[in-house]
Amino acid sequence: MSPCTWGLWRSAIHTLKTFSRASPSARGLCIPTRAVCDAETIFALSSGHGRCGVAVVRVSGPASSMVLRNMAGLTQALPPPRTALLRRISDPQSKELLDRGLVLWFKGPHSFTGEDSAEFHIHGGPAVITAVLQALGSLEGVRPAEAGEFTRRAFHAGKLGLTEVEGLGDLIHAETEAQRRQALRQMDGELGRLYQDWSYRLKRCLAHVEAFIDFSEDELIEDGVLNQGQRPAAIVSPIAGTTRDIVETSLDIGGFPVLLSDTAGLRDSSDSVEREGVRRARQRVEQADLTLVVVDSTQLPPDPQLVPAFLQEYLSTVLPSPEAGMKAASDRVLLVLNKSDLVPEEQRERTEGELREITGLPPACFLSCYTSTGLEDFLTVLQSRVKTLCGDPLSGAPSLTQARHRAHLQQSVAALNQYHQYRDQDLALAAEGVRLALTHLGRITGRVGAEEILDIIFRDFCIGK
Amino acid sequence: MLAQKLHLLRHNVLSFVSSRTGSDLTRRQYDVIVVGGGHAGTEAAAAAARLGAETLLITQKIMTIGALSCNPSLGGVGKGQLVREVDALDGLCGRAGDWAGVHFSILNRSKGPAVWGPRAQLDRERYRQFIQSELLSTPRLTVLEGSVDELLVSQPNPEEPGHHRVTGIRLVDGSHPILSSSVVLTTGTFLSGSLFMGQTTSPGGRMGDAQSCAGLSYTLKETLGLRVGRLRTGTPPRIVKESVDLSLAQLQAPDKQPTPFSFLNTHTHCKPEEQLPCYLIHTTPGVERVVRESVHLNCHIQQDAKGPRYCPSIESRVLRFPGRRHQVWLEPEGLTSDLLYPQGLSMTMPPDVQLRLLREIPALHRAEIRTPGYGVQYDFVCPTQLTPSLQVKSTQGLFLAGQINGTTGYEEAAAQGLWAGVNAGRTALSLPPMALSRTQSYIGVLIDDLVGRGVTEPYRMFTSRAEFRTYLRPDNADLRLTPRGFEEVGCVTLQRYKKAVSVRDGLQEALMALQSVALSSTRWREKLGNISLSENKSTTLNGLDLLQYKDVSFEMLASVFPECLSQYFEYSQRLKIEAVYRPHCEKQSREMERIRREESLSLPSDMDYLSLPVSLSQEVREILDRVRPNTLGAATRLPGMTPAGIIHLLNYVLRTGQRNRHTEHRNRSSQKEGEKGQLCASNIPISQ
Repeated sequence: MSPCTWGLWRSAIHTLKTFSRASPSARGLCIPTRAVCDAETIFALSSGHGRCGVAVVRVSGPASSMVLRNMAGLTQALPPPRTALLRRISDPQSKELLDRGLVLWFKGPHSFTGEDSAEFHIHGGPAVITAVLQALGSLEGVRPAEAGEFTRRAFHAGKLGLTEVEGLGDLIHAETEAQRRQALRQMDGELGRLYQDWSYRLKRCLAHVEAFIDFSEDELIEDGVLNQGQRPAAIVSPIAGTTRDIVETSLDIGGFPVLLSDTAGLRDSSDSVEREGVRRARQRVEQADLTLVVVDSTQLPPDPQLVPAFLQEYLSTVLPSPEAGMKAASDRVLLVLNKSDLVPEEQRERTEGELREITGLPPACFLSCYTSTGLEDFLTVLQSRVKTLCGDPLSGAPSLTQARHRAHLQQSVAALNQYHQYRDQDLALAAEGVRLALTHLGRITGRVGAEEILDIIFRDFCIGK
Repeated sequence: MLAQKLHLLRHNVLSFVSSRTGSDLTRRQYDVIVVGGGHAGTEAAAAAARLGAETLLITQKIMTIGALSCNPSLGGVGKGQLVREVDALDGLCGRAGDWAGVHFSILNRSKGPAVWGPRAQLDRERYRQFIQSELLSTPRLTVLEGSVDELLVSQPNPEEPGHHRVTGIRLVDGSHPILSSSVVLTTGTFLSGSLFMGQTTSPGGRMGDAQSCAGLSYTLKETLGLRVGRLRTGTPPRIVKESVDLSLAQLQAPDKQPTPFSFLNTHTHCKPEEQLPCYLIHTTPGVERVVRESVHLNCHIQQDAKGPRYCPSIESRVLRFPGRRHQVWLEPEGLTSDLLYPQGLSMTMPPDVQLRLLREIPALHRAEIRTPGYGVQYDFVCPTQLTPSLQVKSTQGLFLAGQINGTTGYEEAAAQGLWAGVNAGRTALSLPPMALSRTQSYIGVLIDDLVGRGVTEPYRMFTSRAEFRTYLRPDNADLRLTPRGFEEVGCVTLQRYKKAVSVRDGLQEALMALQSVALSSTRWREKLGNISLSENKSTTLNGLDLLQYKDVSFEMLASVFPECLSQYFEYSQRLKIEAVYRPHCEKQSREMERIRREESLSLPSDMDYLSLPVSLSQEVREILDRVRPNTLGAATRLPGMTPAGIIHLLNYVLRTGQRNRHTEHRNRSSQKEGEKGQLCASNIPISQ
């Protein structure tokens, strides 16, 4: 996260400077002029999220021509409208080549949205798509589209007929619903709790700052407005039952963001704390997209022929709904046979042979965390499994949501920077930073209104002047 | 000029009063009738008259016009912004404050100019005199003493939305009706008001005045079918100044140099050195004990009606936050008054217990009470039944302003009164109603919150309610509102308009001059001495860039470039503020534009949400039916509203060709943009 955070700070600082310089207009006093009020430029993957040969990324808004020039290396004139052109598509910052593909230019109002638009027809691999979307997001004034935003812009521009309009609400509802479900999935994990926690703390910070502004009750304001929380570190030991709560961490596996949850070992225990850990672990297994079932190799039957039946039996006790499970299990489960260094090599090889013969069992990998033997192979299997899962249209497009989240989080951090910048100079401007940060976080976690802030103020403070 | 007006008052007192009885002198037809002579009523009457409407102000007692019923102060954080805006629209309260103030201070001085809160302690007598003399000298305005018995209503004009149309009023004592095109009701706490002290309850809206008008209440509830709620408030006992041991209180001095509220005034009437101080004292455990012991003798606090959380009675303060020292401010009531007002000690227990309570505080151990504190409960009309022009949706020509809409505070009342008066006048003169955007003023925020969300407790303005707080500043209220007030609204006099335009042009010139002076940062450092510029040496900075730095003042820059900057010294403070805030305001402009577009999409007030033939969930239908938002913007801000619901409403607005009749956009941009532009609200947030 840290390189990306830094990138955002740089871009935020850059933006600030641009604004502070750009005040030559003679009508500056009476604030917002129409010229600066143009719609933002948005982008989105317009083709489906599944694996496909060609993916279409659409851009709409006043900066579309700038986007096209920057991404497709068009220094001269734009291509004629509505004509496909084969170009090298590269990252506007790093100039790194991302793909070769077709680009199209649509001059407004002759476009789907009625605005200036551009399309990039690129190769359908997730890595290419993600790279292009990230490159777009790095351009100033360009952001990921909200659900249904292209359609809505088209609607406002009068580009949709009445019959099409009829279905629009439902369409947007459906899109929002899909996004909501996806958001919920993410909200349920550590990431979601993190966002909620940030949001809650920002709300309280803002309430305190606002109370300080609106009521002048100096003595009521606690200091230490932005203390950072501590991440718990996992305790590891050879004793079974050490891990009780779920420890989670975000990983990048093959370019996909993966949330890894380490749960308590699933075993019967008389310890009530450990039993709760096991209960949570089972709950988490039900929510997981992919489950790594870790088995101690030394506990496998010495006779390799008995191993498949043993594992089958073991999975049925560990995984939910064993009857429907087998088909799903081979897709959603990987067997990890740990401590392979403690098993004689010959026995391991024969067991591996047995497991290859058997159908209906999930792929199994021998590895040793102690010697790292087999780790490479396991990661290759894991990566291909993650890729398959993320290409699954039913899972939504993590890269898209990630881009949206990243954009909001970056803006949020930039806004908090404003708080620090103005904290001792102008509290109104500092508070503006917290407000903005909360607004951006609110795009992920839900909107926050003035009333909610006032409620916190009245709950926490005795106001009586 | 002020003295002249007071002189005028003395000469005109007779004619002022004579209009009461001489029914022959009273016309029977007015453009606008304003009922109530408080902060809302006086601003409403004056605004309607300024607009050119023949206006009648009816009040129970002429001598209480402009009375400060509760605290002897005006302004504060958020409230001061409202006073500045009312003044920018040529209202009365800012100038009255400058005339009557005896202690001026800007609150929040250390927190940034956007949230500065201009505030003053007032001399009650002088405030009243100023308001009365202003009204007296206002052309087209007649004042009548009387009590309104009934609101006259008839069939609606079928071309406008609404079920009724107001046609005038009937007085309690006069049998003949007085007709008008518009009526503004500003009855304050008098609508079914009850007074509470100890265990006794009596009908009334203010101690010492006649009780409320039952007939009016009946018309609103029964004839017009308006939903009403009940709220409560209270006022503290007034303490004899001589009986207070001020040596045990902490002195609070005013600002050395008073800052006037009004953009027209360069100084206040009160000389800096003649200002009076305030005093700070604290409650003791004894105060808490007296409150607890007397709860059973205290009807008011046992009632359900909601009181303000931010101006609680001493009873609520100690019961909700026990074991604490609470602040109490002793405020002067005027230059010649022998009383002190204990801000923070509003109470409703029996008078003998009030005295016992006060004497638990060291500085008040021998205190004498002149008039005891009491509580008031009153009806308010749920303000979601109003349009953004403050007209009752169901009743053409009927406007409401002030506490009747569920607000509290003089400033909130004055702001609504002014805007209701403007629209009552416009309606009477057959002009379309107007709304103020929440992106342009606190008055707009206030009204949009009221009509869009309703109230559950007395509504008070806070700066935190304004999304665009860094733009809605006290320093620029004239630039935001005065030109429009003259050019579009018609409530601003030519004299004020000219002044605002000259200030605007002067600031503009000064800003250009600042931008025209540019040096490298190295050269600036040489010229200005030890200032820390974050830019590297070769960067060229103009004067406006430099003014954004904390340690750089306009005076410093003018000393470097006297020939082109020194002529703008009078604007130095405003230029500094403008330079610091402008980049932030520019960043917010897109969001402002989005809100303005949504505000410009009006939803028909008679829409039947429950059977609207579009796809809306039952939950959303019920929310919409209950609140009946005036605009798409208000609908978007409703809790529980879904993105899909917003799109369906937008679709409906488009299909039925409903055009906005209320917004500021109407005269400015709609012709230019055409229908598409006006209906284009392309940035509705889809994830709320």
